[in-house]
Amino acid sequence: MIFLTVGTQFPFDRLVRAVDEALGRSALDDEVLAQVGHRGYRPRHMKWVETLEREAFGERVARARALVGHAGVGTILTALEAGKPLLVMPRLRRYGEIVNNHQVVTARKFAELGHVLMAHDEREIPAQLAALESFVPVPRHANPGGIVARLKAFLDRVADGRR
Amino acid sequence: MLQTERAWSGHDIVFVTTGGMVAERLRGQYGVPVYVVGESNREHPLKVLRVLGRCVDILLQERPDVVVSTGAAHGCLLCLLGKLAGAKVVWIDSIANVERLSLSGRTVQPFADLVISQWPGVATAYRRVEYHGALV
Repeated sequence: MIFLTVGTQFPFDRLVRAVDEALGRSALDDEVLAQVGHRGYRPRHMKWVETLEREAFGERVARARALVGHAGVGTILTALEAGKPLLVMPRLRRYGEIVNNHQVVTARKFAELGHVLMAHDEREIPAQLAALESFVPVPRHANPGGIVARLKAFLDRVADGRR
Repeated sequence: MLQTERAWSGHDIVFVTTGGMVAERLRGQYGVPVYVVGESNREHPLKVLRVLGRCVDILLQERPDVVVSTGAAHGCLLCLLGKLAGAKVVWIDSIANVERLSLSGRTVQPFADLVISQWPGVATAYRRVEYHGALV
């Protein structure tokens, strides 16, 4: 199963429609489940729900072979933590999908590092959906220890100064 | 923020957050005071004023030695007010900002005592911004 999610806040019809139309032209090996948001575009070639509770969402992510979503950091980190291949398409300001174009830089960076696949816009969706079938993401190794050590040193020094 | 727990767990702390649900969890988990300032944005100036007043109240009551923030606008505001009240300011910029500091981060950077980016390229693009790996 491929799980398409647009997040909880706003629909992202440009992405949902692009995936739906791509499936209309040629089916994928996997079936697709789409979470389309309140009053979002209603797909014709895949199963869909408007929203999912946190737990149900996590269950779909765990069950999915791959994910498709907008290029929010939340979505990207969810996929990386779950070790799932992810195709992202950035929300764009010019379509009223978001307040600025920061998702473009986010998507580009994580794609550059091999963590995700990126479709710049809906025209790239069919090809990238096909690529997603064999995409193996570079795993991300978080290293919180460095920041923790730096912050701890800073706080301890301030506390020592007050004593 | 919670991922840095080992850095602040030995200290006397309070949390400030925007959401009531998060506040409940924090109170239960850490047993420390949690202030909720509420949401606001530029489209609702009255709410912004209310948040501003709330932040001033918190700072006057708690008199923190250090304000540590991971963003965004509210954190930025508390950093600024905290600095004026004599606190040291630490800013940890979100992993979302892959090419340059967030707007809030850029606002805080000139007067902050420690600014950390989670991307090496961002850290080298600014004076006095440090990179020590990423939290996620």
